[in-house]
Amino acid sequence: METILHAASFLLDWHILLAALAGVTWGIMGGALPGISPSITMALLLPFTYTMDPTAAIVLLASTYVGAEYGGSVPAILIRTPGTNAAAATVIDGYEMNKQGKAGLALGISLYSGFIGSMFGLIMLIALSGPLALVALNFTPMAYFALGILGLSVIATLSGENLVKGFIAAILGLMIATVGSDPVTGGTRFTFGSSELLGGIEPVMIMVGLFAMSELLMQASKRGSDERVRSRPRIQFPDFKLAKRLIPSQMIGNGIGTFEGVMPGAGGTIASFMSYNEARRWSRHPEEFGKGSPEGIAAPETANNTVAGTALVPLLSFGIPGSNSTAILLGGFLIHGIVPGPMLFQRSGEVVHGLYAGLFTATIGMVIMGILMLPVCIWLVNRPRPYLNAFILALILSGIYSIHNETFDVGLMMAAGVLGFFMRMLRFPFLPTVLGLVLGYLVESNFRRSLVLSGDDYMIFVDDRISLSLLVLAFLFIGGSIAKRLYDTFVRKPETITES
Amino acid sequence: MTRLPLYAAATAALFFSSAFAQAQEYPVDTVTLVTHSSPGGGSDVFLRELSRHLSPYLGANVIVENVSGGSGASAMARLATAPADGSIFYATTPTFIYTSLLSDPQYKYTDLEPLVNFFIDPEVIYTAANSQFQSLEDVIQYARDGRGQWGAANPASLERQALEQLKAAAGVNAAVVTHEGGGDLMINVLNGTLQIGVGEVQEIQSQLEAGELRLLATFSGERLDAFPDLPTVAESGYDVVVRKFRGLAGPKGLPDDVIAAWEKATQAVLADEQYKASYEAGNLRAEFIPHDEYATFIEQFGSETAGFLKETGIIE
Amino acid sequence: MFTRDFVGGVATIAIGAVYLYFSYQLRTSALDDSMGPGGLPRIYGWLLVALGSILIMQAALASRTTAVVTASGEEAKGEWEGQGRKVVYAFGLLAIGIAYLFILETFGYLISIALLITTTALYLGAGFSGRLIAIGIGGAVFLYAMFVAILGVRMPAGILAVLGL
Repeated sequence: METILHAASFLLDWHILLAALAGVTWGIMGGALPGISPSITMALLLPFTYTMDPTAAIVLLASTYVGAEYGGSVPAILIRTPGTNAAAATVIDGYEMNKQGKAGLALGISLYSGFIGSMFGLIMLIALSGPLALVALNFTPMAYFALGILGLSVIATLSGENLVKGFIAAILGLMIATVGSDPVTGGTRFTFGSSELLGGIEPVMIMVGLFAMSELLMQASKRGSDERVRSRPRIQFPDFKLAKRLIPSQMIGNGIGTFEGVMPGAGGTIASFMSYNEARRWSRHPEEFGKGSPEGIAAPETANNTVAGTALVPLLSFGIPGSNSTAILLGGFLIHGIVPGPMLFQRSGEVVHGLYAGLFTATIGMVIMGILMLPVCIWLVNRPRPYLNAFILALILSGIYSIHNETFDVGLMMAAGVLGFFMRMLRFPFLPTVLGLVLGYLVESNFRRSLVLSGDDYMIFVDDRISLSLLVLAFLFIGGSIAKRLYDTFVRKPETITES
Repeated sequence: MTRLPLYAAATAALFFSSAFAQAQEYPVDTVTLVTHSSPGGGSDVFLRELSRHLSPYLGANVIVENVSGGSGASAMARLATAPADGSIFYATTPTFIYTSLLSDPQYKYTDLEPLVNFFIDPEVIYTAANSQFQSLEDVIQYARDGRGQWGAANPASLERQALEQLKAAAGVNAAVVTHEGGGDLMINVLNGTLQIGVGEVQEIQSQLEAGELRLLATFSGERLDAFPDLPTVAESGYDVVVRKFRGLAGPKGLPDDVIAAWEKATQAVLADEQYKASYEAGNLRAEFIPHDEYATFIEQFGSETAGFLKETGIIE
Repeated sequence: MFTRDFVGGVATIAIGAVYLYFSYQLRTSALDDSMGPGGLPRIYGWLLVALGSILIMQAALASRTTAVVTASGEEAKGEWEGQGRKVVYAFGLLAIGIAYLFILETFGYLISIALLITTTALYLGAGFSGRLIAIGIGGAVFLYAMFVAILGVRMPAGILAVLGL
């Protein structure tokens, strides 16, 4: 209670309010630009924070993080380009709704869900930091491996009509994830002497290629007339009935987001894909998923914004950054001589309470800025297709270049676009590829790490209780999906497969 | 992949440098210090702080530029092709030697000229405060009796090399588990998955102060000022000494006046009271090494590392 | 006969085989764990080959069932009709993207991106008009402002370097 009162007193400090609003606006912009990740958006502000008051500096950076995690969903919905990794799952139903002329509603749902997620994440951060930190502390390499396998079990849902093709696509993703330096020995793998590939392939390059570039190539291949359903340039929040329908999927997003956020290294991308999967499993309208389901936007967007809040738990409690973004935030703390960790709350409680207040303001600011900025974005995508697509191409080529200032990366992104183009032509789903790409490193490194620990005894995965329960859950999911498919194929009358 | 680089938690409070040193004749107005660390990372924070204090002593503006990519390969390429007029330097840590050897990029550490060294970060062995291990000997004995499990922050790093050398010196067969950075490693020491971890003091400072971790030994040559009771690994009977350096390197063929200016400015800034307070709070140990010695030092470090990597079969 | 699934299966096996070839070339070292750097990649490679074979079998089974209903020749023709032209059109756009990468260093970001927008819009069917030129220049200035001026990305300056852009 004392914490909340003290934190609330910061709401009267205009420095904090200004930092929160500036941060969230900047974050939405950076998040919305493909290739500019939340961490880059934050890093760009870092030099300015040197001369700022410590609390304002931390609030500025954390608000940027909140804004960027939300901002990623805007291009995901409007131009099929996830602005951030964690927005990849939002593309599925968000872009479908946009195609149906419901971009305003899709953006409204994502903004509303982002708000719910951020607020929930903040509440968890304030109220349950201690217990959540304990969960993170007990996650061994075995448990991380099991968590990765659980994430991979979502493949079955993302595969579309043919499970074999889904698995092939997933393995392609896992293969891309092996490029770079080996997680155990540090030797190089599949780099073919290229220094650009040493650090591995950034998932965002492949994602932008698979989603956006392949879509541009697809549209260029059709040469058709511009027959789109245009959305009205207005943000439409869900009405009472829809809001009620979204509650279960948002709760799923909150739950999974909280859990994944506190695991250093797990992150928002897995959280949003898993939430998407669970929302579909528990939905009353699972058939709408993939065809523009509002729940399909609400679940991942709630999840990745919840992560933005709970990802601060390991940072504040242990001083351990769980992602590149929180690592920048750690830098922000260190610049001001504040060392996050067990002593933080005693030594710099001021700053932590200011941070809570700043995040609260940022979440509200996010909604205001969204309402102001989004109609312009919808107006922009309503321009004639040749101009729009030319601009999208220019945007993604510039965005990918800016990651490392390398034309090599742009070439890599275009290659992924060609891969995506042929996958679509041969009717392979590419969402499993994205999933494999994101989870490949987590799964491989922790699998091998566990075996080093146990001296190659596989029982270590069964002896670790968290690992065992997650693995059982994963096998139930995969087994269930396969059983259902087999049942549909052999017992029920085979239906004609329709083109997606 | 999003691989978390080693975010070595760095340094403490910022003080504005009010030190007014006599502006010297430095051949260029602006000096760029390049780091492969991303903004906010260990080397980045270290450099940005150094740059504030260094400017007046050097007589030039000092700015920091992040050239990430290829764990230093891009930064080395940038430096090796830059003019040797004293306008650009690269902030070196052992990473640049490991990257040169492991991935054989076009430009390597041998294409650069070491300038001077600033700091040597002490590497320490730590365990969870609630563990049964009170000394390094306990840990070694445990590994002798069964299977020891030791952790290093990154694969193919100085820390991994140190643990492999310790294993060889003690004649035990412990499993050395590599991680994705110091934080990841620390969690596994805290939850008891590993008996010991190796890292820099500033990475675990907060946990040390909170009494959650216990130090067992330091890999440095002498005992640390901050922990006078902590024995060195060599004292414990295993002849392993690790020197994690932080210095600068430039393009080949640096002019003598530039080198002289840096040697003078480096010694002056390390003695600066305010800067000293700040880096000592961050557990950095100042160790100025002049140009000539530093070149030999880097060369030796490189050949030792190459020897280790070849012996273990990682490179040819 | 040559259905999408059949072609997909063959491509899968080909990718798997190439990947396997390289995964067997990976160096082993004394610091390796028992799996080594090549352990999982080899599993991935063999899985891909196996799944590709299953896909081919599925395709063969499916074409036998459909062959009863319709003549297989017609089926295949219908599925592939017009795909060749589509690939050519798509690669035209790709060629524009690649050309941009080649002129980027010489012409600099501002000019290259303006050319990219104009050419792409023309290629995608926009008529040549004042509007096209305006959008090309306006778009380039907007992107320049976002990435270079605001975000501070170091884009190649090229021939505009003399103007300090």
